[in-house]
Amino acid sequence: MIAEYGQLALTFALALSILLAIVPLYGSFSGNQRALLQAKPLAIGLFIFCLLAKLALVHAFLTSDFTVINVATNSSSILPWYYQITASFGSHEGSMLLWILMLSGWTALVAIFSKGLPLLMQGRILGVLGLINIGFIAFSLFMSNPFARSLPFYPVEGMDLNPLLQDFGMIIHPPLLYMGYVGFAVSFAFAIAALIGGKFDSTWARWARPWTLAAWLFLTLGIMFGSWWAYHELGWGGWWFWDPVENASFLPWLVGTALLHSLAVTEKRGTFKSWTVLLALGAFSLSLVGAFLVRSGVLVSVHSFAADPDRGIFLLVFLLLVIGGSLALYASRMNSVRSQARYQLFSREVMLWGNNVFLLTATLVVFLGTLFPLFHKELGLGTISIGEPFFNQMFYYLTIPFALLLGLGPWVRWKQQPVKPLLGPFSLIALASLTLALGTLAAMQSIQANLALLGLLLGAWVGLSALYELYQRLSQFGSVSKGAFKLHASHYGMTIAHIGFAVLVVGVAMTKTYSVERDVRMQINDSISLAGYQFTLLDVYPLQGANFGGEAAEIAVHNSKGQLISQLHAEKRFYQIQRTVMTESAVHARLSRDLYVSLGEALPGDAWALRLYVKPFVRWIWLGGLLMALGALVALLDKRYRRGSSKLTAANNSEAANA
Amino acid sequence: MRKLMFYVPLVLFLTLALFLLSGLFSNPMERESVTTNKPLPAFSLPDLMQPAKRWQPEQLHGETFLLNVWGTWCPTCNAELSYMTELKQQGVKIIGLYYVLPVDPLLGESFDLALLQADVSNKLQQRGNPYQFNILDADRSLSLDLGVSGAPETFIVDSNGIVREHHIGDINPQVWRNKLAPLYQKWRQQDGTE
Amino acid sequence: MKMLLRFLTILLFAMPAYATEEALQFENETQRQLYQQLTAELRCPQCQNQNIADSNAVVSVDMRQKTYDMIKQGGNRDDVLDYMINRYGNFVHYQPPLNRYTLLLWLAPLLMLLALVALQLKRRRQQADEFSTDAAAEAASGQSGSAKLDAELDQLIEQYRSKK
Repeated sequence: MIAEYGQLALTFALALSILLAIVPLYGSFSGNQRALLQAKPLAIGLFIFCLLAKLALVHAFLTSDFTVINVATNSSSILPWYYQITASFGSHEGSMLLWILMLSGWTALVAIFSKGLPLLMQGRILGVLGLINIGFIAFSLFMSNPFARSLPFYPVEGMDLNPLLQDFGMIIHPPLLYMGYVGFAVSFAFAIAALIGGKFDSTWARWARPWTLAAWLFLTLGIMFGSWWAYHELGWGGWWFWDPVENASFLPWLVGTALLHSLAVTEKRGTFKSWTVLLALGAFSLSLVGAFLVRSGVLVSVHSFAADPDRGIFLLVFLLLVIGGSLALYASRMNSVRSQARYQLFSREVMLWGNNVFLLTATLVVFLGTLFPLFHKELGLGTISIGEPFFNQMFYYLTIPFALLLGLGPWVRWKQQPVKPLLGPFSLIALASLTLALGTLAAMQSIQANLALLGLLLGAWVGLSALYELYQRLSQFGSVSKGAFKLHASHYGMTIAHIGFAVLVVGVAMTKTYSVERDVRMQINDSISLAGYQFTLLDVYPLQGANFGGEAAEIAVHNSKGQLISQLHAEKRFYQIQRTVMTESAVHARLSRDLYVSLGEALPGDAWALRLYVKPFVRWIWLGGLLMALGALVALLDKRYRRGSSKLTAANNSEAANA
Repeated sequence: MRKLMFYVPLVLFLTLALFLLSGLFSNPMERESVTTNKPLPAFSLPDLMQPAKRWQPEQLHGETFLLNVWGTWCPTCNAELSYMTELKQQGVKIIGLYYVLPVDPLLGESFDLALLQADVSNKLQQRGNPYQFNILDADRSLSLDLGVSGAPETFIVDSNGIVREHHIGDINPQVWRNKLAPLYQKWRQQDGTE
Repeated sequence: MKMLLRFLTILLFAMPAYATEEALQFENETQRQLYQQLTAELRCPQCQNQNIADSNAVVSVDMRQKTYDMIKQGGNRDDVLDYMINRYGNFVHYQPPLNRYTLLLWLAPLLMLLALVALQLKRRRQQADEFSTDAAAEAASGQSGSAKLDAELDQLIEQYRSKK
């Protein structure tokens, strides 16, 4: 019965979302205060019913209710309980319900935390969110019901969760990612509310900023954990595959990053107005396009859900309504806006414009790289593939100017920046970057003009510039210790996020340059040395887990001095129900390098195939991502976002004077 | 002019939507073959049942035929055997290209021709034998040259040994009627005219 | 990123003393690098979306073996790519061929970048004349533009609030 209650809860949620879409929007057009006041309780009610539906589904999984098709096809009674919970969002249907839960959650949060917003604005924003909720809840109920039963016939045992998903990564990656995707719906709703109102003062930018930051924070974490998960789960030592599904998450991230920077200009300087609105529409639109690509089956991906053209049609119609509708509204409203702010070529405005130009070019690269094979084929030109070589080449050329600009940006003032005062600091930064980069390579005894040198130079340039700028800024308050408490949290956030980017660039460049891999055939007690490490196969023995069997290998790793560094434990699992083989690679992680071993198949003559990697600086990639997310978190703590009223004018004045 | 610029995103999106719509109705895994309209690649491979006999492309000239890539390990291939046997009875000439799986040491098997022959005879007795004969592609070299990505796949080869069609997937009544039969008839009619 | 650069740098690591047999033996490091690069760039024709290095499909195993054989016999990058593309089409290579349609892949981002830069430059020129007078006026009022705007914004927000 619980599953039916779940479906009932979802049906109520649909009804509430319809009310949420109609009542406050009606109130906003007719000026009906009472109708506007309904928005908040409706939004919270919507969330509660979505939560009930989600709990009902989790209950079905935990009790292994195989009469529910979704449970029967994605879980089993021998699956550990925590994976039974994650299995509830391991399928298309279940993940859609998670998506809805997140969406209604954001809607409720906006309702709760928007006390500072004028009622009219609240009503419009929540009404737009209600509209989006309708689409997804209806999609779930009518096109991919997670509670559908298979009665009267049902299996005695489930088909188990895809072994790839039986991993810690599955517990955290999808919720974080979806929080991010869906979070951009809030920025989207703010932009639409502004468009409906037809007023383009900077207020909406100030209000939308913290929400955009929060969504971006989750998306960054989601992508980063996804990358880390793929790295240690797939057994090939890769951390980004440029797969369409990964790209689908990268696209809104890139536009979201551009939006964060553009919002700053709109809030602070009242310019880039039409541009910022477009980015706010774009970030969520790309989330939706991504959801379409993943769920409709138009693209071939390792991760995509089972395709169903009917679902694709539903989603496409939804896309047309939401994206097409919003872009049409944009086109009809935007022509009246004129920006008054004036600034010179060398100014913070233009720097941030440059940031947007490169981020959007990167977006176009990823977009074309993902969808061009589809265009090519649909135009009858034949099938082509676009993958790593193309993306790497393009991102190589985009990263260089972007990083150079990023190092410069925070130093440049609004309106106009004389060049002369920057010459001193930047010669210093350039010199220090060169020293640091060459010094690092010298320590590795490998000074040459390679990708690593470039990455180190750019990373040092961005990182040192961010740190030095922070120091300068703090000194302006009299002394660094005095300034440390006066400086806005958002400034710290920016510095941390920029350093995160620097760390990421260094990580990518170093890993790409210095990683080594070997496919070897080893017997017990055989050893091989790779990049200064001695790998010895100690033992291989049978393995028995709850729902899998297989083999495990123990590998000792010694350094060049003969000291034991670690004993690695790699597994090759065979999942009985799904009849799939999975590698559980063993990783010994340090900041400077990862040692990575995955166990292959047994070979004739009591030997095993093993794949060994030494991957220098690979941790820096995720560390960089974490720092970017941390930067967003710190910025979110900025007091301004919680007050946003005249009390701050004084504080803003002092900051602006320093800027 | 400035006003029109604001319509650019909408127009771009609608164009994208058109492509996405057409994409919904085509199979993303489908790809065109590049080995069609070329002669069969050179090979010299043994007969599956009489390994002493070797087959070369020239020996296959003279009549349009189907070259069916298959293996008893492949359930879809086994499923299409009975329908293809019907086709054989209708006079369609079908030659098998036996796609041997690499020996999986995990299962402790080693390549044993006698075992394979027994397995194949058994399967063909159960399901029907559509083949004139089977060519044994033990290291899958001919398959690689033909651009085979797995089994089952079927080629239509004309009387001059030119590959005319490359079908990926199984043969069932629907596929035969709608796709392969017209092509087969077309090339069959041209047999001997050149 | 630039795989080519990778070749040059790998050499710095000491060559291992083999107590263990490598699954694939190469005559030199360049060959090994070529093999690793090619198997990462070739797409498995049977799989969802995987390169042949990461896939264990039979056809990937065969393509890897062929790549290895060709490299061992002195084949270069183009030989292997041509061989594979001649059999499996452009689909099999993750780098699309350059023709007048695919040119758009490289050109479109470049054009967009240039267009956006041109747009900004045009606006700069329009404002260049007005700027000097504007800045002077501001200097006279003694308040920087940003601070003024911030104050205005706060005022606006207050206004909205009191309206409700």
